[in-house]
Amino acid sequence: MESCLKDQIGAVLLPGDVFTFIKTETISLTDTSKAEKIICGPGLRRNGDDVVVCKSGVLRHKHPNLYWVDSQQRRYVPVKGESVIGIITTKSGDVFKVDVGGSEQASLSYLAFEGATKRNRPNVQVGDLVYAQFLIANKDMEPELVCIDSSGRANGLGVFGAGGLLFKVSLGLVRRLLAPQNEIVKDLEKLYPCELVVGMNGRLWARAATVQKTLIVANLLESSENMTAQQRRTLFKRVADGNL
Amino acid sequence: MRDTPLSNCERDFLLKAIEEKKRLDGRQTYDYRNIKITFGTDYGCCFVDLGKTRVMAQVSCELVTPKESRPNEGIMFFNLELSPMASPAFELGRSSELLVKLNRQLERCLRNSKCIDTESLCVVSGEKVWQIRVDVHMLNHDGNLMDATSIAAIAALSHFKRPDVGIQGDEVTVYSPEERDPIALSIYHMPICVSFSFFQQGTYLLVDPCEREERVMDGLLMIAMNKHREICSIQSSGGIMLLKEQVLRCSKIASVKVSEITDLITKALENDKKARKEGRKCGFAESMPQERITALKTYETSVEMTDLTKQASDIVESAHARAEIALSPVLPAPGMGQVGTGLQNAWGLEDEDDEDDDDDEDGDEPEVTIVAEKRGNKEKRERPVVIISDSEEEEVVILNPESS
Amino acid sequence: MSSHLRTTMEVCSSDGFNFNVTLREFGCEQCLLSRPDGSSSFIQGDTSVLAAMYGPAEVKVSKEIYDRATLEVVIQTKVGLPSVKERLQEQCVRETCEASLLSSLHPRSSLTLILQVLHNDGSLLSCFLNAACMAFMDAGLPMSCLFCGVTCAIARDGQVITDPTATQEKESRALLTFAIDSTEQKVMMSSTKGSFSVHELQECIAISQKASEKIFQFYRESVQRRYSKTL
Repeated sequence: MESCLKDQIGAVLLPGDVFTFIKTETISLTDTSKAEKIICGPGLRRNGDDVVVCKSGVLRHKHPNLYWVDSQQRRYVPVKGESVIGIITTKSGDVFKVDVGGSEQASLSYLAFEGATKRNRPNVQVGDLVYAQFLIANKDMEPELVCIDSSGRANGLGVFGAGGLLFKVSLGLVRRLLAPQNEIVKDLEKLYPCELVVGMNGRLWARAATVQKTLIVANLLESSENMTAQQRRTLFKRVADGNL
Repeated sequence: MRDTPLSNCERDFLLKAIEEKKRLDGRQTYDYRNIKITFGTDYGCCFVDLGKTRVMAQVSCELVTPKESRPNEGIMFFNLELSPMASPAFELGRSSELLVKLNRQLERCLRNSKCIDTESLCVVSGEKVWQIRVDVHMLNHDGNLMDATSIAAIAALSHFKRPDVGIQGDEVTVYSPEERDPIALSIYHMPICVSFSFFQQGTYLLVDPCEREERVMDGLLMIAMNKHREICSIQSSGGIMLLKEQVLRCSKIASVKVSEITDLITKALENDKKARKEGRKCGFAESMPQERITALKTYETSVEMTDLTKQASDIVESAHARAEIALSPVLPAPGMGQVGTGLQNAWGLEDEDDEDDDDDEDGDEPEVTIVAEKRGNKEKRERPVVIISDSEEEEVVILNPESS
Repeated sequence: MSSHLRTTMEVCSSDGFNFNVTLREFGCEQCLLSRPDGSSSFIQGDTSVLAAMYGPAEVKVSKEIYDRATLEVVIQTKVGLPSVKERLQEQCVRETCEASLLSSLHPRSSLTLILQVLHNDGSLLSCFLNAACMAFMDAGLPMSCLFCGVTCAIARDGQVITDPTATQEKESRALLTFAIDSTEQKVMMSSTKGSFSVHELQECIAISQKASEKIFQFYRESVQRRYSKTL
């Protein structure tokens, strides 16, 4: 089966496409048969002995045996361990309710901040932005966020300061931005110094020296969603030449 | 469904940017977004794209009795719908404040300004007049629904053609579009609505706010004007105090914008008329952009049909063959439940069975009895459908299925 | 695009039935609205439909289902208020969608599908189904199979016409719409109007299954085109 999956790497698949485990090769008496292990990522599901595609997109592969379907999507579904940008909607008792763009609002305990105790509450208001990580996120339970890691340190998570602009992009662009050594961030670094926070729920926060520069960074990122590398480089170059 | 809440960070940034005269998409303070007007296949259908805001208007007509107070005039009816497609916050059937405000503004802008000659819509005075109905659907909400709606409504009304009517004595004949060419409505002028949003208690103003700017604005001023610089309606909402100079300045800006938009509408109408005269197909299908990778079109295709009748006949025959295997069907009447599989009555009532078999065809039993097949009957007689029911009716006629 | 060719294939069977099976030209565009999570427009000849879908999103407590997503279908006509006919079409579309969506992956959430008629020139229900399927694919919802809709009309002389126009529908004796799935070409939903024999029904089902292959091929081509740009 791995061979028929390997053939399709980079091909566009539609929901309902099936990869069956076909025993076409004759059983050799000299070679020992190996058990194949394939890890199915998002977009692929196991159906008995078959692997069925459930989302439309391009099949990707990571060595040695991880396969997944790369699809363009706008709606976020909470996954454990992912860091997202949330907006505080209500403060009720000991818990904040945070909107992350999913099907349910996530809960964030006020004790889940660095250095927070029952007496020393964090300074968080309704409407603030938080960068937090999912502690619990599955389809059966209410999602739960925390702003500290397992050792109790903030490690970059927590409430945002003043300034900056929040905007929304598709999930595919966010994944491309978080890939190590990716070109978009490299091109952006050459342009202006700016702060950028990437939430896996499709929300980006950017802050540069002036309002104009922040707006430029936001518009560049929103438009680089559908551009090839070449088009993006020409656009960035035009902006760098135009604005000094 | 709830819409995403606006964070404090976005609000502060937007207000700070407006103070520096910067907008999110790089426009100037008095700039409109790109307006695109396309028409549908039938007369009276118009799509308007104002940036990302999309609106569709459809005009239709029918003959009705006129109002008693105005027996010589036709009737105009406006129906604006906030489709749940446009925004997750819009819910079907929920009459929100925004819907009422938009409906009222559209009525004031088009009906009260008398832009359409309603007297020409009269067919028989006091008895039959044309009712022109304008339905506007929101397809995508990215701010400034009112402007897009007014442009779509007036463009659709200008595009619409009503059927021709012939009057001979007392008889009124309505000709179909094939018999006689339909007639356009007589439109005196084109009122178009221009929206101004105010921030920081009236200090800053923006034309054509997008959705995020609408969320942080303090108040809204809507001016409906036509290209002859006549104001058709003014409405200010949000409770902001405006100075006289501000209102005059807005009306000057509005007159410039309205003349630009009116030129755009007339050009779009002319293009459409030319295309129809040349016989080219018009409509939403043609206006679909072909170069985008998200769009695809194919030609008319034929489908391989060999062997189909044989395949179909085989299916039918095999289905028929199965029908003979069915045993005497025992059906409970509707409304009656049954517990268990309910087959043979094993209470040792063999004597009663023999008696019951004689009149089981149209028997009327107050109790529930299950009729078993007569054993030892070698003939293949017709199997009746027996309906178990506890109805109290006297005459129960059981219809037998046709033997196949 | 270049000229539109009209190719018809007439197959005369031994029973004397004449098949005029052509499908009108298709067009499809995905991701054309900025607010919905998935949107598409589907065009069959002159009939065009716009579909938008939101989900998985928050659901009202009164409507939530503990182990599945709640699917709501709303059909909006161009003129007037929706009537019983639209409710029936909504029911047909909803049943087809629920059979193919993996809604148990999103319990206690809502999926809302809104269909807007842009122009009705026949085969409206099958156009709704095709637009709905493309909108689900655009939104990235997990589906177990794709589905498509095919309409057949039986004319008064017994001729079977696929994908009929409004005039052809009006002059027909019976109108049948089937929803076909992509994995096994089985009938997921059928909605018929008029009288016809069992043999004619089986023929129309067989014709629809053959026609659905073309539609699924079209789906594949449009999705391939969409992902063709290497970003």
